Amino acid sequence: MMNKLSLSLLLLVVASSAWAGDAAYTIRATELKVKPYGDAEVLRSLPARTKVEVLKRQSSWTQVKAGTTSGWVKMLSLQLEASATGRRSDNGLSALFNVATTGRGGSTVTTGVRGLSEEQLKNAQPDPQALRAAKKYAASRAEAKRFADEGKLQSHDVDYLSGGR
Amino acid sequence: MRAQLFFASLLVSLPVAAFDLGGFGNIDLEKAAKVVQKVQKANADINEPQEIDLGGGIASNLLGAAPLWDNPPVQRYVNKVGRWLALQTERPDLPWQFGVLDDDDVNAFAAPGGYVFITKGLLARMNNEAELAGVLAHEISHVLRKHHLQALKKGARSELMSDLANDAIKSQGGDPRLSKLVSAGTEIYARGLDKQDEYEADRMGVVIAARAGYDPYGLPAVLQTLQSINPNDSNLALMFKTHPALGDRLSLLDGLMSESLADSEGQPDLAERFAIQLKVK
Repeated sequence: MMNKLSLSLLLLVVASSAWAGDAAYTIRATELKVKPYGDAEVLRSLPARTKVEVLKRQSSWTQVKAGTTSGWVKMLSLQLEASATGRRSDNGLSALFNVATTGRGGSTVTTGVRGLSEEQLKNAQPDPQALRAAKKYAASRAEAKRFADEGKLQSHDVDYLSGGR
Repeated sequence: MRAQLFFASLLVSLPVAAFDLGGFGNIDLEKAAKVVQKVQKANADINEPQEIDLGGGIASNLLGAAPLWDNPPVQRYVNKVGRWLALQTERPDLPWQFGVLDDDDVNAFAAPGGYVFITKGLLARMNNEAELAGVLAHEISHVLRKHHLQALKKGARSELMSDLANDAIKSQGGDPRLSKLVSAGTEIYARGLDKQDEYEADRMGVVIAARAGYDPYGLPAVLQTLQSINPNDSNLALMFKTHPALGDRLSLLDGLMSESLADSEGQPDLAERFAIQLKVK
């Protein structure tokens, strides 16, 4: 009993990534697989525009619940449902940052001189002092390498993709 | 461009002909050579120090529009991710400078010479370090391919770009023509780059993230997240106006990545480090 409880708590924590609970639909017919691998067993085939619930993402795969069946589909065969409030795409950090998730329409005042709207960018005045302040945070080669090591990031040789330009 | 080159080759060949015929002695060889030089320089690119100075001016303008977020730990964190990515590229030793702008808008910006900024509003919608890396690598790619410089060369201030390349404008010393060039460079953010440049930055960005050891699907994951934000949200207005449709960007990446980046699948996304670095203080 206790074990089951802690297991379900653990699952809750694991599943509570930012996308958990998002509504999405398939943008093409796609296979729902047991595991996030190309050669994994197919649970069933989902036709285009099947509604699913997003559980989590892992590299190019997204775990979803289609009806009562959970499984993995290719992440890019999904489109997340647009939400009226924008809340769904919110990772929770926006509350911390005081980001207005409902946009600027309502009570948020945006008539200030500064900002990143088209008009504000056209009339931007230089702030060399801010640029000097930004430079304090630059990372050296050695710092970047140490940081990569800490994250166990290893560099690899990968060729650029040609886009047929 | 072609006409200028043709004119230049004409100038080169004329004096030679003059010697042969002996009848054009009044053509000043030295002067002709100078004209040729000037024409050639007009088509030349600005050099790296000039690129960095121009980019610094544009970055300074951008910081005038939106201030740097007063959060030193996050600024340092973003700089480390960015510099590690830049080290995987053909221009590892530009004075790379990254920053988070204190603004709710969802957007990211690159300026020539290695300046890259993302907004707090965009950072707030990311889930892990691989997503941050994907966005920074997209911006890094604009710098690598000099997309903004090309836009300036094609724009209304193209003659000033020639003057800068030609050393007729000094990039340091407050020449008013340089300010005009910096303003034109800043206006590109309001207008947007060439669509093809955005697609190229997407293609390069996922590769740079993969080279740096990250899950390369960070960039498409962010684009997919942005798809779910209400398109009428004014925080996305400029990003939407200046970039190709998210669906088009995603479907182009989808085709390319599933073929060529399969080996990079399963690389870490460092969700935990990202959450710790951005946690409430």
